[in-house]
Amino acid sequence: MARLIPGYEERGELFSAYLDGELTRDEVALVGEILDGDEGAIAEFHAIREIRAKVRLLPELEVPAALLPDGHLGDRLSAYLDGELVTMEYRRVTRHLVDCPECRAELAELDRARIAVRSLPGVDTGMTGEIPVLAVLPDRRRRRGLVVGGIAATAAAAVLVLGVTLGGGDAPVYSLDDLAARHVARASAEPASSVLPAMIEVSAP
Amino acid sequence: MFSQLWGSMTEEFKPTWEDVAHSHGRKIYNFAYRLTGNPDDAADLVQEVLLRVRKGLPSYQPGSFDGWLWRITRNAFLDGVRKKQRRPESALPEGDHTMLGSSPSPDEVLASVRLSDDVQGALLKLPYEFREAVVLCDVVGLTYDEISEAADVPVGTVRSRIHRGRKMLREMLTWPV
Repeated sequence: MARLIPGYEERGELFSAYLDGELTRDEVALVGEILDGDEGAIAEFHAIREIRAKVRLLPELEVPAALLPDGHLGDRLSAYLDGELVTMEYRRVTRHLVDCPECRAELAELDRARIAVRSLPGVDTGMTGEIPVLAVLPDRRRRRGLVVGGIAATAAAAVLVLGVTLGGGDAPVYSLDDLAARHVARASAEPASSVLPAMIEVSAP
Repeated sequence: MFSQLWGSMTEEFKPTWEDVAHSHGRKIYNFAYRLTGNPDDAADLVQEVLLRVRKGLPSYQPGSFDGWLWRITRNAFLDGVRKKQRRPESALPEGDHTMLGSSPSPDEVLASVRLSDDVQGALLKLPYEFREAVVLCDVVGLTYDEISEAADVPVGTVRSRIHRGRKMLREMLTWPV
């Protein structure tokens, strides 16, 4: 039968505290006495040590960088602008934006770029339906054509972004409610309409 | 340790909230993740704690920094739980739920990962006060005194909760031979 230990409900509690380095010198000596030759006590001691080790060996997880002061939102900003974040993530991003002028500035730039691209006038090809040339081109040429087109579009967007960035004024101050309201507006807005006022002014070419 | 150093610091060397974020952010995240098994809740808690730290630092009196911080963390966690109880969600939030203790197919998960899942699953089944004591001791690495201060209970209670928590875990977990 397990012996009674003053101040402890059971001997396992003493073993547990011993493993955690929480015992006085006298109590450590007591653990030695209890374990001396008592196979039941030794087995219990090892079982506690094993379960303690298993919890301690749980992998330590990295805290998401955006939660730390110099961690920024990166590609989540575009998803935020497009209203593509789910509730929890959206709330975290909004909170981060309230505290982080760098991410707010990046958000403003992305918003300008987004609006500039969406404001590009449509090109009238004079044709309807499928473009026949692309349909007959070999794969390689078709791909190259698409790449060239993509580069041209990117360059046009970059020029517009540069233009609006250089013309930018003082950064506005946001509150959580402010950002939340704008996010909702953004999610339902027509393309090319701004929800970040006082920053974006795209003049027609 | 950083926090031990702060404990003896005078007013002029008080840490900033950015210092706290970098030194304790990961611990707070792991604390919340092991208590909830949910990365979204863990991330929310880190944000909430850092906000509270930033608000509270001006009135913080140098002393047991860990005790102060973990009391804030624990209160923020419990406030979050209470809020959720008042407004329960119909579905689990988006995110990685692979650590919830689900049973993955044998060919996709290594034995070590299964082991973590099992331990995490068992932790989630512990009553809160035992889970908290075990996590603060074994995951966060606090001493019994620090846990006592954070949880506002006597050291004897902490000792008993840690042991009983481990005992329950042992009973829940069956290990492959």
